[in-house]
Amino acid sequence: MTNLNIILFLCGWGPHAAYQALQDNASDIPPEIKMVRIPCSGRISKALLFKPFEMGADGVMLIGCEPGSCRYGTGTATAENNVEDTRGILDLLGLGKDRLRLVTFLPDESDALLRFLKDFVSQIKNIGKSPVVPPPKETPIAEIDELIIQTVTKYDVYACQDCGKCTSACPLTLAGKPFSPRAIANIIISGNIEAPSVQNDIWSCLTCGLCYERCPSAVNFSEFIRDIRHILRKRGFDGHKAHGGFFQSLMRTMTSQDLKIKHWEWLPKEIRTDNESKILFFGGCASYLDIFFRNHLGVQTRDILVDSLRLLNFFDIYPAVLEEERCCGHDLLWSGDKENFLRLARLNVDAIHKMDIQEVITACPEGYRTFVHDYPEHGIEVNFKVTHIYELLEREIDKGAVGFKKLNHRLTFQDPCRLSRLENSADLPRKLLNRLHPKAFTEMQDRETGATCCGNCAWIGCDSFSKAMQVKRIRQAHDTYSDLLVTACPKCQIHLRCAMEDPFIGEELNTRMMDLVSVLARTIQWE
Amino acid sequence: MTEQKDTKQEIIITGFGGQGIVLAGSILGEAVVLGDHRQSTLVQSYGPEARGGACSAEVVISDKSIHYPYVRHPDILVCMSQSGFEKFIGQLNPEGTLLIDQDLVKPRGIARTFFSIPSTRMAEELGRVMMANIIMLGFFTAITKAVSVDAVRNAVVNSVPKGTEEMNTTAFNKGFDYGLAVLKGREKKATGKAGA
Ligand code: SF4
Ligand code: SF4
Ligand code: SF4
Repeated sequence: MTNLNIILFLCGWGPHAAYQALQDNASDIPPEIKMVRIPCSGRISKALLFKPFEMGADGVMLIGCEPGSCRYGTGTATAENNVEDTRGILDLLGLGKDRLRLVTFLPDESDALLRFLKDFVSQIKNIGKSPVVPPPKETPIAEIDELIIQTVTKYDVYACQDCGKCTSACPLTLAGKPFSPRAIANIIISGNIEAPSVQNDIWSCLTCGLCYERCPSAVNFSEFIRDIRHILRKRGFDGHKAHGGFFQSLMRTMTSQDLKIKHWEWLPKEIRTDNESKILFFGGCASYLDIFFRNHLGVQTRDILVDSLRLLNFFDIYPAVLEEERCCGHDLLWSGDKENFLRLARLNVDAIHKMDIQEVITACPEGYRTFVHDYPEHGIEVNFKVTHIYELLEREIDKGAVGFKKLNHRLTFQDPCRLSRLENSADLPRKLLNRLHPKAFTEMQDRETGATCCGNCAWIGCDSFSKAMQVKRIRQAHDTYSDLLVTACPKCQIHLRCAMEDPFIGEELNTRMMDLVSVLARTIQWE
Repeated sequence: MTEQKDTKQEIIITGFGGQGIVLAGSILGEAVVLGDHRQSTLVQSYGPEARGGACSAEVVISDKSIHYPYVRHPDILVCMSQSGFEKFIGQLNPEGTLLIDQDLVKPRGIARTFFSIPSTRMAEELGRVMMANIIMLGFFTAITKAVSVDAVRNAVVNSVPKGTEEMNTTAFNKGFDYGLAVLKGREKKATGKAGA
């Protein structure tokens, strides 16, 4: 027996009968295979397909019923999509799509099943052990009261005047959710962290920072919540993760040092990069997101990376890119997993230092905030400058001789909370927007540092109130009579698009969206 | 002494009084002499210009000594007023270079290419319309390469009133960057790649 770990998700209907026949006959099923019986191949979400890889599995099989023989009708078709998406993501990660297979067997095909199982094991043997080393499991700590008090003191939550401004500003409260930052703060101060309402609500906060904007005592509620999450997680509590925790799983997997990530392999040929350059373009997770949401939302956030690079090339800037680029860790940090955030941060920063980079440019507001703010705050020193691409573009365009073609749209703009509010840079995108020549540019009622967010942050706590918020936000955009909602964050596009998929009001909400860099790249020209 | 090839360039900067036309000419000359260690002369026209009429500075640059400081057929013509343009455009060398302030000069009736910059508007944006001449000088330096950029930048710092050095350097850099951008834009357009 090899030391391979291979997981078999086996549908309990047709193929399980075939498997049972093998067991009854004491056939030599490869011992590396660990079988998990499941109700239907369509129930194995991308999160479940991926989870074994996070835990270090070398291969995963999903065995279901042949299309047409699925007990529930659509199981096999769903499984096909889930497996294809997950395979795409395994490829980007450098694990290789061949580590995951979907096959179907009829109940009487036990011989073929056995052949397949043996083949798969020998294929995995050829590919080799997975380079993923699961992050060490932390033993939950018993006593957290002291930590909570420290955090309350650090953010001076005691200064809360009980004025309720935060609650009246909170978009979740305004969407009708029985949720109050003021109440959470008070319960935590009173030492009742285990209260069920707190346990729930801690993971719902969007960490959007709107309450902090309004708080007369300057209680930085979003960072306070973030740190409380870290403590709760240490204690063994965890939040409700969106999409079954797929994204947290993905990010944790990236903490394995030996992964041969292929972050940029797909880049179109006409884009010029130069790995000798002292400037690095940090792209972010768009490629993963696009694959994950391929069938559901059909977003193309990867265009943001391509168009950013196009714009840099336009100005004769040919930056380096980091092939082994990892997630910046933003979502892990804000969903409570500080340890793995730090691992990602160190891997990214070390790799960039090794390339002798002087300036990192990014178009992602979360990545930007994380590099300039959260890395240093958590003791990860960087010896390069970090620039948001809007700063760079504004500087280059301002030199002159560059103009913009007429744009046949009426625009409005969705502020990204990380850039506009948390980094206080709402003017950056607006300087660029004001250079364009659209039919009109009309701001939404809530804008700049007061803008409401797209409805989710860090892939936790998404619920019907998030949806209600998104509906409100999209209607605000409609009130401007715009036909193009300009965004500045791939995730704003994803979460807002999600509301537009609503089976009842989706059509009414449907709005064209385009990222600001794409709008710029399509209209910029030398005069 | 070896025979140097004739690198003489004749320049006219024209505008109206108060724009700092003569100062621009003198900074240019100073940069050539003190910075690039070449020869230069300046002839300025006095008169009603100081009160807002046409005004011009004639600058000659050469590696050899200059025997005649007046400019009859400029190689480079810089126009910051319409009347200055009308007056001198006929004299510009057919291969010469024309630079204009695009908001003040409408280059009517000519078939040649030219380089334009909104120098006055840019100076306004920087908060001092007075600095349009310095911006134009930056633009001139980038486009014509008649003099080295460090030489002009130093000459600007030495010639402007105390306390305004930084502002004027910013203005100069703005004009210079704009010039580089214009050249890059032309190059891109020539290769058929005007967009991103
Ligand atoms: S950070 Fe945003 S979502 Fe969280 S409590 Fe404050 S306003 Fe509400
Ligand atoms: S706004 Fe600030 S002071 Fe007012 S209740 Fe909220 S946390 Fe307390
Ligand atoms: S809004 Fe949609 S895409 Fe965003 S986290 Fe919620 S379910 Fe996922």
